[in-house]
Amino acid sequence: MRRLFYLLREAWVNMRINRTTTIVAVLTTAFTLACVGIFLLLYVNLRNAAGLLEEDVRVMVYLEDRLPREARQDLERTLKIDPMVAEVLFISKEQALGEFRLQFPSESHLLDGLGENPLPASFVVTLAPNFRSPDVMKEWGERVQTMEGVAKVDYNQEWISLLARLIGYIELAAIGVGVLLSAAAVTIIGNTIRLALLARWEEIEILRAIGATRTFIRIPYFLEGAMLGACGSALSLVILKCAFELFRQQIQLTSRFSGIEDMMSFFPLPMCVALVLAGMGLGFAGSVVSLLRIGEGRT
Amino acid sequence: MDAIIQLIHVSKWHDRKAALSDVTIEIDKGEFVLLMGASGAGKSTLLRMLIGEEQPDEGQIFVHGKNVTKIRPSEIPYLRRKVGAVFQNFRLLPKKSVFDNVALPLIVQGASEKDIRRKVTEALRAVAVDHKNDQLPDSLSTGEQQRVCIARAIVNGPVVLLADEPTGNLDPERTREIMELFKLINARGTTVIVATHDPQVLTQVNRRVITLRHGVLLSERRAREGVGA
Repeated sequence: MRRLFYLLREAWVNMRINRTTTIVAVLTTAFTLACVGIFLLLYVNLRNAAGLLEEDVRVMVYLEDRLPREARQDLERTLKIDPMVAEVLFISKEQALGEFRLQFPSESHLLDGLGENPLPASFVVTLAPNFRSPDVMKEWGERVQTMEGVAKVDYNQEWISLLARLIGYIELAAIGVGVLLSAAAVTIIGNTIRLALLARWEEIEILRAIGATRTFIRIPYFLEGAMLGACGSALSLVILKCAFELFRQQIQLTSRFSGIEDMMSFFPLPMCVALVLAGMGLGFAGSVVSLLRIGEGRT
Repeated sequence: MDAIIQLIHVSKWHDRKAALSDVTIEIDKGEFVLLMGASGAGKSTLLRMLIGEEQPDEGQIFVHGKNVTKIRPSEIPYLRRKVGAVFQNFRLLPKKSVFDNVALPLIVQGASEKDIRRKVTEALRAVAVDHKNDQLPDSLSTGEQQRVCIARAIVNGPVVLLADEPTGNLDPERTREIMELFKLINARGTTVIVATHDPQVLTQVNRRVITLRHGVLLSERRAREGVGA
């Protein structure tokens, strides 16, 4: 117990002795990890948005004009028993016209001039959750397109593919930036530990002379590195949260992208904990690098 | 008597200069040995080798039955726990109290809280600085600091106590006190080796004397019976 207390206290004393270096290390680590966090936040939010859009994706199956009632009912039955389909809703030509007038009241006069209702009847098909990926949707659409009585199958394939590609790029950028900046964080913490080691070199010599093992000597420095990493990571989350709220507030004020602020979300709590733990791991890695480089391992 | 320390044809060179040259010594369990010689005679090199801080270039060293020349680095800390060391410059941690300094070897070994309290109190009482428990080393006199250093060296009951110029920073009166303390520790069964260049110590301690000059074993003198303490 006293041994554990001693090791924890030594780590704390190390940080207090090199207070300025410790503060600088925590701040630089925090800003470095915040940069990684921006990409991560963007990635998480785009993934959420893509998820919401996928949930909202409906395929429009437009029917040929003057399709007999029986043929339409046959088609509806075929679609309803399809395991990939969750819901089918019929929109008649009249309903389509009514909706158009409702949504675009100023343009509704354009249709008046045409005389006959030009809008086709359609089925609004919602696919089952497991079949909403762009590839599966494309395949399903091509299959339905060949069915009798179907004039056209329409869905936002391009938009969904574009979003998927964008998410892929951001994922790559997040990994690249994450690796680079994590290496920077490891170096920053490693240098802080190195300074702490040099400042307490004589003490280390004394510990070695009285029979302290390498592990015993190293543990306070490992703990210090882990603590620096965790503090830096926690502070980076605070910075990100402030920036995130400020950004959301700005969007609300400008009311340009109404609704988008509800789709935006910060990291969930388990992810915040995971990020602090990741910071802790980076700090620990910094200590290991530093202790190996400085050759404390000599007996 | 059983030999607790054996040096067999030990040689060591520092920058092509012989720090120790073909030295063979045997020290028995419970002996008190004065290692005499001027500065640069090889005393400190010899002591450093006994705790695995340096390795000889030739020869073999046995401490408490362990061949130090073939010891694995991971075993060295455990060797040092059996061999207490006292230094000329005390090497105390300035920001830790006297109690915490002396407790350090026990903490390192993972001793229980109860054992630490008991053994540290005993060690501090043995060197007569138990009343300075909570003070910082810098607030003590040099003699007291050396006593704390000795307490730290004996707190975990080592089989051998090495002292490298322990009286180098002390006046004659404090030197006499410290040597008396070593005799007391030796009387309790600990093998004591004191390296010194101070001939005054010889007059205070009538024990085995090993003299080194330029790394060579110059002479050996056994204790004269009935003379001195």
